[in-house]
Amino acid sequence: MADLSLPATPTRKPSLLAVGSAIARHRFLSHPKVRLALVLLVPILLLTIFAPVLPMQKPLETNLRAMMQFPSIEHVFGTDKMGRDIFSRTLAGVQISLLVGFSVAAIALVFGMVLGTLAGFYGGMIDRAIMTVVDIFLAFPSLLLAIGLVSVMGTGIVPVILAISLADVPRFIRLQRSQVLSLRSRAFIDAARTVDASQYWLMTRHIVPNTLAAMLVAASIAAANAILVEASLSFLGLGIMPPQPSLGNIVRDGQTYLEQAWWISTLPGVVILLIAVGLHFLSDGVRELLDPRSR
Amino acid sequence: MNYQAPVKTTLLELRNLHTDFQTSTGTVKAVDGVSFAIERGERVAVVGESGSGKSAMAMSILRLLTHPGKVAGGEVLLDGRDISRLSEGQLNAIRGRLVGTVFQDPMSSLDPVMRISKQMIEPIMRNLRLNREQAREEAIKWLGKVGIPEPERRIEAYPFEMSGGMRQRVMIAMALSSRPQLVIADEPTTALDVTIQAQIVEVLKTLTEESGAAMLFITHDLGLVARFAHKVAVMYAGRIVEFGRVEDIFASPAHPYTQSLLGTIPSTAMLKSERLPQIPGLPPDMRFPITGCAFKERCAAAHDRCCVEAPRLSQCGIDHTAACWAPHGLGEGATLKAERPDRPNRPFEPDGSVVVELNALWKQFDTSRKMVVRAVNGVNLRVHKGETLGIVGESGCGKSTIARLLLGLEKPTSGDIFIAGLAQMVFQDPASSFNPKMTIGGIVAEPLVVRAHGSKPERKEAVRRLISQVGLDPAFAERYPHQLSGGQRQRVAVARALALNPSVVVADEPTSALDVSVRAQIINLLVDLKQELGISFVFISHDLLTVRYIADRIAVMYLGEVVEYGAAEEVFADPRHPYTKALIDAVPVPDPAIESRRTSTPLQGELPSPLNLPTGCAFASRCPMATDRCRAEKPALPTHDLARQVACHYAS
Repeated sequence: MADLSLPATPTRKPSLLAVGSAIARHRFLSHPKVRLALVLLVPILLLTIFAPVLPMQKPLETNLRAMMQFPSIEHVFGTDKMGRDIFSRTLAGVQISLLVGFSVAAIALVFGMVLGTLAGFYGGMIDRAIMTVVDIFLAFPSLLLAIGLVSVMGTGIVPVILAISLADVPRFIRLQRSQVLSLRSRAFIDAARTVDASQYWLMTRHIVPNTLAAMLVAASIAAANAILVEASLSFLGLGIMPPQPSLGNIVRDGQTYLEQAWWISTLPGVVILLIAVGLHFLSDGVRELLDPRSR
Repeated sequence: MNYQAPVKTTLLELRNLHTDFQTSTGTVKAVDGVSFAIERGERVAVVGESGSGKSAMAMSILRLLTHPGKVAGGEVLLDGRDISRLSEGQLNAIRGRLVGTVFQDPMSSLDPVMRISKQMIEPIMRNLRLNREQAREEAIKWLGKVGIPEPERRIEAYPFEMSGGMRQRVMIAMALSSRPQLVIADEPTTALDVTIQAQIVEVLKTLTEESGAAMLFITHDLGLVARFAHKVAVMYAGRIVEFGRVEDIFASPAHPYTQSLLGTIPSTAMLKSERLPQIPGLPPDMRFPITGCAFKERCAAAHDRCCVEAPRLSQCGIDHTAACWAPHGLGEGATLKAERPDRPNRPFEPDGSVVVELNALWKQFDTSRKMVVRAVNGVNLRVHKGETLGIVGESGCGKSTIARLLLGLEKPTSGDIFIAGLAQMVFQDPASSFNPKMTIGGIVAEPLVVRAHGSKPERKEAVRRLISQVGLDPAFAERYPHQLSGGQRQRVAVARALALNPSVVVADEPTSALDVSVRAQIINLLVDLKQELGISFVFISHDLLTVRYIADRIAVMYLGEVVEYGAAEEVFADPRHPYTKALIDAVPVPDPAIESRRTSTPLQGELPSPLNLPTGCAFASRCPMATDRCRAEKPALPTHDLARQVACHYAS
């Protein structure tokens, strides 16, 4: 059918995926909000990774000869009432924060994807069962829910992660379900159904890949939120327990001495602020890149 | 009525208008130097494909462009006054008051949470300086004029309580109620059924004539232009390529693009063996600068000069200008010639084997409020091997439900469906029928993978063969759907449908989302494939000219029933059911001479709700010849052994 052939535009090489991701990377790094976020987050991340090999006092090590010292070259953020190095403790706290953030995002993503896809795709009884539970959870503010769950499950990092995840998973289910509902009626699903594609095939090949982008944005927001919730819980004495450092409990420890040694609470507080602002800009930037209309 | 004879003075004049869209990938010159004038009381149609800049041009007049569009230069003279440099505030005094607008989608142009009264009365009070009572009377008067039944009651309705056609009538009433001198209508009937379209066009025509308003009418439908316009501007790639009186444009088009467009529409006299002329290629990408004539790549008459220098509009008759270096475009009196010789004229002869059989098929949908939508009501149809069955009817007549039933996407409430072999589908919307995350190769291979046909290399070979079979370069396999144009996507959809060697392909409005110049390519492809592969087609469409051309037999559906069935030519030449007659009458024919002789009034009213069907003939509420017998007793379609069937008491 020679006469029907269209003047084919030259195929781009190397493969389109590679070109696409190169463009995406370029756009990603040139986005102003993303740049700002990276300026804030990359130094914090590098310091946290290299904390164990940096020449400074270990986070749990006390030094009773150097209590409540003003920040200096030796102790960048000063020391607390037991002579512990605040900078070293802050970096250890950031480690915990990042662990909590990533774990919560991963848990919420996995459970949200699976349950949301099932609810949206099958509808009926499965949908009603899942969504009733989701609605009950959504009726509580997430911090309040986390506080309640931690007081039941006890303190420590695992209960904190579980508590925050449990508060986030329902939101992810909601989001995934609504995406699946709108995808389910698209013509390409019908096209696959006309060749008797299995439901597993429809979900894994057609539905989940098209919901991934929005879910990843939601996950990055959830990670930022989880870091703040962990800090809040630890500040309230419900999260990570001293002497194990966490940004929240360092701030809590220092608040008694605000007048004599303001740096104990303030400097880790500033780090929390920087992380929160950085993650906020990052998720905002990612969202704008994925959906240009939201700008 | 206060009829004013149109005085020949210029009302609107565009001088070298430029409109740009700043996008992340470059500046799109949507309107690239457009100049023309509209006289008072004159109806000017702007025709062009999507992306030709016709809407951007119209929106630029009142600066109603959406972001990132911007008027980049030129003058807009309304009554001799340049309105292109007015402030927003000053322009607002003109919008609605001197210039009324009617857009394509009446649902998004009406506020969904406001009653019609609120949306109509306040602009009338402001524009005509009337008090609330007078304005309300005025609004009701206009609603009555545009054909809304019981306007006193309907004025208190919300937009969602009205049908699409009724909403468009409200839009027209709103636009005309301020007695504007100019009405800009941007594809006002595109979203509507052909019968409703005929009504709306009639309303626009009589009311603008009555009030003496001029009109700028944007459309891609050349048939409508012939019915409606005094003058025509043909746009291509942001410029006007031809402008003139409607009779001249249709009788002696001078630009190759106009000549080609007119050639691609299947005429009522065309034989099936004649190949539909088609315009090769695609419109240019407006992000890149164009050297020379924008149409040169698709033009058979292009020569060296066309590649260097863009032609300007020059006189080629009285009030007739065209932008082409060749004085007569493709040649004297020429239209586009088919590229390949015609098909061998093999009249269709069924060999008796039935591929699809529907027996007493019923389908009902339960709605949430315990109501039953009766979508398909006792349909019997047969499709023979190698035959194309065309199903036509207004939206809501059940034709798409039949397609879904045939494919097993819905289960019938009662009745049998028999299919010898496999049914596959080509969907209407080429944008949503592919998974955006899959390559074209993956999409075409999907049916083979799901059905576990062949090894991986065999499937790869099959995909190459299928993609070239539909006239695409096999390199397309590596691309993603969003990198393809609408016509290319529809070819891919055909390739996917053919992957499993189906015995019947169901095509639900496969060309309605495509541009006119690409439509003919797809129709030719379908007809060729049918002849080469001997598969049957069920072709569902509201485009009667295309159905007549492509189908061997036609089933006309109304409210879930087949009201007439027969050979395509016979049904068209001699429609026996009053509904078929009305449908065929409503089709705009791209010939102003035929259109001006048109005397019959369009079919009145709209499709009744499928929630509560009438007891007698379903069509009785709109039928000009309905009697008491029709309202009481349902006419039955004769048994399906007959070659010609009509469900009407008075058809013979």
